[in-house]
Amino acid sequence: MIKLTINKKEHNVDVDPDTPLLWVLRDTLNLVGTKYGCGVAQCGACVVHLNGEAVRSCVTKVSRAEGKKVVTIEGLSETHTHPLQKAWLDLDVSQCGYCQAGQIMSAAVLLKENKNPTDQDIDDAMAGNICRCGTYLRIREAIHAAAKIQRQDA
Amino acid sequence: MEKGNSTNSRRAFLRSSALLGGGLMIHFSGLTRFSPAEKLGNIDLPEQWNEINGYVKITADNLIKIICPNPEFGQNVMTSLPMIVAEELDVDWKKVIVEMGPHDNVKLGPQFTGGSNSVRMYWRPLRQAGAAARHMLKEAAAQTWGVPVEEITTKAGMLFHEKSGKSAKYGDVASKAATVPVPKDIKLKDVKSFNVVRHSQKNVEGEKIVTGKPLFGLDYTHEGMLIAMIEHPPAIGMKLKSFDASKTLQMPGVKDVFTLKLFEDGFEQGGFDTRTFNDLLVVVGKSTWEVMNARKKLVVEWTAAGDTKDYAGGRNGKTERIVPGELENTDRQYQKMREFADKPAQQLRKDGDPETAFKNAAQIIERTYTAPFLAHNCMEPMNFFAHVTDEKALLVGPLQAPGWTEPTLVKLLNLPADKIEIQMTRMGGGFGRRAYGHYLMEAALISKKVKAPIKLMYTREDDMTYGVYRPMYTATYRAALDANKNLIAFHVKGGGIPEHPIHANRFPAGAVDNYLAEGWQIPSNITTGAFRAPRSNFNAAAEQSFLDEVAEAMGKDPIEFRLELLKRAKETPVGKNNEYDADRYAGVLKLIRDKSGWNKPENKKYNRGVAAYFCHSSYAAHVVDMVMKDGQPYVERVFSAMDCGIVVNPDAATNMVQGAVVDGIGNAFYGGLIHKDGVAQQNNFNKYRIIRINEAPKKIDVSFVQNDIDPTGLGEPPFPPVFGAVANALYKTLGNRLYQQPFAVPVTDKRAF
Amino acid sequence: MKKRYILPVRTMAILLLLSSLIIFMNFRFKSESLIRNSVVGQAHTEFLKTELNAKDSVASVKAFAEVYKVLMSPRCMNCHPSGDVPLQGDDSHLHAMLPKRGKDGKGLYAMKCTNCHQPTNIEGLNKPPGHPDWHLPPANMKMVFEGRTPNQLAKQLVNPRTNGNKSMQQLIEHADDGLVKAGWNPGEGRTLPPLSHEEFKKVWITWIKTGAYAPPPMKAK
Repeated sequence: MIKLTINKKEHNVDVDPDTPLLWVLRDTLNLVGTKYGCGVAQCGACVVHLNGEAVRSCVTKVSRAEGKKVVTIEGLSETHTHPLQKAWLDLDVSQCGYCQAGQIMSAAVLLKENKNPTDQDIDDAMAGNICRCGTYLRIREAIHAAAKIQRQDA
Repeated sequence: MEKGNSTNSRRAFLRSSALLGGGLMIHFSGLTRFSPAEKLGNIDLPEQWNEINGYVKITADNLIKIICPNPEFGQNVMTSLPMIVAEELDVDWKKVIVEMGPHDNVKLGPQFTGGSNSVRMYWRPLRQAGAAARHMLKEAAAQTWGVPVEEITTKAGMLFHEKSGKSAKYGDVASKAATVPVPKDIKLKDVKSFNVVRHSQKNVEGEKIVTGKPLFGLDYTHEGMLIAMIEHPPAIGMKLKSFDASKTLQMPGVKDVFTLKLFEDGFEQGGFDTRTFNDLLVVVGKSTWEVMNARKKLVVEWTAAGDTKDYAGGRNGKTERIVPGELENTDRQYQKMREFADKPAQQLRKDGDPETAFKNAAQIIERTYTAPFLAHNCMEPMNFFAHVTDEKALLVGPLQAPGWTEPTLVKLLNLPADKIEIQMTRMGGGFGRRAYGHYLMEAALISKKVKAPIKLMYTREDDMTYGVYRPMYTATYRAALDANKNLIAFHVKGGGIPEHPIHANRFPAGAVDNYLAEGWQIPSNITTGAFRAPRSNFNAAAEQSFLDEVAEAMGKDPIEFRLELLKRAKETPVGKNNEYDADRYAGVLKLIRDKSGWNKPENKKYNRGVAAYFCHSSYAAHVVDMVMKDGQPYVERVFSAMDCGIVVNPDAATNMVQGAVVDGIGNAFYGGLIHKDGVAQQNNFNKYRIIRINEAPKKIDVSFVQNDIDPTGLGEPPFPPVFGAVANALYKTLGNRLYQQPFAVPVTDKRAF
Repeated sequence: MKKRYILPVRTMAILLLLSSLIIFMNFRFKSESLIRNSVVGQAHTEFLKTELNAKDSVASVKAFAEVYKVLMSPRCMNCHPSGDVPLQGDDSHLHAMLPKRGKDGKGLYAMKCTNCHQPTNIEGLNKPPGHPDWHLPPANMKMVFEGRTPNQLAKQLVNPRTNGNKSMQQLIEHADDGLVKAGWNPGEGRTLPPLSHEEFKKVWITWIKTGAYAPPPMKAK
């Protein structure tokens, strides 16, 4: 049994400790907001927060998450009103939407560490997240908008 | 192209919609097959929906649900199609509930996402559906209040009778409306009075997306569901010889390992039954990770498949096609293409006397362009859920064309069509890839075999190496100039593996007196399929590059040169069957010239490239502004002009064009998949480069030509000309022209990055 | 101690300068060790004293040629890039998705090394290689290998101002650093450095112990 704290809730899961966190989230806990895209840490669709860092759950063994705080897109904001979620909706960023949870989870770490990111900061933070539909311009714009919301809320 | 009669005749509409699909089963009859009594009797439903017709449901407490008929893969049809219904129905858009419809060709029409068809083919029927429902509600109110129906007005989901001061919500009369006969002649709104359509509305699933709700095929789950994976041969052209699953079967979670044949020998394939491998080695188990690991323990012997035969059904009966067994190599493919380019080819169109014109030319410009196979690389890999029993089948997942896969399923499962239920989830991208339903058929057969609900999943590697790629293309263009540098003849000879890219009746056909288009093709076992604007996505790169080269040789501005040709095509068109409207084509070029400040001194700092193209009944032009950044060419800014008629959802349409531009830049720079002895050399994103945010432009300025023409395609048309504009800007940036895609790194270079 | 070698005059002059520098540094290190006053420190002092008497520029330069091959192999050089983006693969291309060094060498924002690079290697091709302390040299001490000639690299390695403030002894110990050793456990599908770790350690220590001579300047590899 592995004890996990996901979105502030404790779970005990009976899985091989080598199982990637991604599959524990998706298959065992039915938290399917975190996506599979490549399985080799190239696309960023599976990004979750592990003690506040934007780890790629497809290559992160569940054993690494034991005793740490995991946050997924489902728990980014209890009320689903994280500035990034608001900005994403305001700017209607999504096309197919498959990558967007990972994009938002990556952007959340950027905004936590940099309250007023430049375009360059955004590129530096977000180049690990592929969007096959090409919504990058709106992602940039939405991060700027979210930073503004965050500053106003603060 | 919609070539139906006036919209007031449903039967005429039915005929014209059937033409849209080119003879495929698209039996749209949502209005005529309406029978409300079927649903009204069922009091056990959690919500008592009164079904007004196939698209609209209204409850007694005034909830209005609009069914989206077409699968959603990011083109935003789940928003735009219901908007069209809502417009004519006259309801408050904010109160509308949108739901994805199941596969039901009878009630919901052709349900095909592809060919930039969704809005184009549903525009009239959805307007009619909305207008019919509104009329039926008015009729019901008129009967209830005992007043003439002509005196009833509607506004935002309310019915009014001004003289008596009576009013009602749609829901109040919905039950009665469901018994009103469907009107025969429906008057549609004036497009100038629209207040939902032509106004930006947000993606109806936006909130679900940003909060991680289950939406996609891979998110689907079911009681007792098992996970299935297929071990495909490592190379295209190989097949299973033998296997030892003893180690696999000892792995935790594994339920079964077996082989299956997708199609029996001699199976008549439909047009979209493309499949690369027929003998499937299947591992079924409890969870994704367990199956992934167990599959690695298989000990498999593969063998060369040799030449095989495919059989296609169709109007002309069963036809046989030999699939060559060669294990292909990219170098050899390029060599073969060069050999074929020198051989005689099939003539596709000829105007005037091109041979003589070339013989008498003062100058001949000849250039050859090539492009590699491309993998679609939808972010969500191929997958499908299937639960097949002896009596019925339930299939759930990402699919662009349920209507085309169902007839094949009927044959494979030996079940009648009405026992096969297909539900379409939101798709994590499609780009044409999910029009080919082999993965759904595989899932169905696996479920039937293991007698359990299963979800078949492709890993990224499975997905990228499976085949169904954008074909490999080449084209040689020749232009003849006379002594005064007038363009007197134009020749294009295009080929590809396994199909040629040529659209013979497109620009500049019609604009040049002497014109010749030819095509040739090389058969291959590497499977291909539609990829966002098939063929056009290559032509627009090659042809628009070439037109720039010709313009330069003639000493002309690239935009002015194109406009001159279009003027000619309009005033004295050459030949017949020219597919494009020269005015609309010129329109986007003029718009982009103005919007981009073409030739304005303040834009001199950019290396600018222009291109325009017509496909899927729409017109697109781009100007890309390139600079050098970190030693690499970088598209910093793009101006785009579109003419797709009425723009249903302007902000979403802008998003679509911006995405197409980014996708185009990415594929032009980096896209390419090569083979060595049949083995795809790119199997994941570490080797197949996808454009990333740091490579995306800072700004993409999108303009739409404003007109009241019925809407045409938008998902594909903005994509192809990006390649041409990038090629033309690269010429300015580098000082030499690149002829082989991808432009950033040669596809044969071992360095993918 | 240099007069034994038949070398061009200019090279000799440079070598002279260099070795003086090394001697100077060694003395400096010695005093540091003494201050530490640990058993180990004292032992090291003795050890180096012995070594000082065994300088051999030919053996040293010869050893460094082997050291250089290892340090310039993808397994070492990829994390000692000339820019702020690590390199990747056996062809040392720029790391996909361009993760940046960051101030501490551990990456930036959502692109920190350990977001992908796990504490250990993971099974399977194309997966990120793992180590708990995966990082680049920090921004204020970049320790660039990429593009360095043997001469430049040798000089850079022995200079505490460019080698991460490492003393000679710490340099020797660095051969057993976990992240350095990770180069010999690179995960599936990656080539190993040209020498085994044992062989590398041997030539590395030989190079240092024989005086840490820099080979004569030449063109970059």
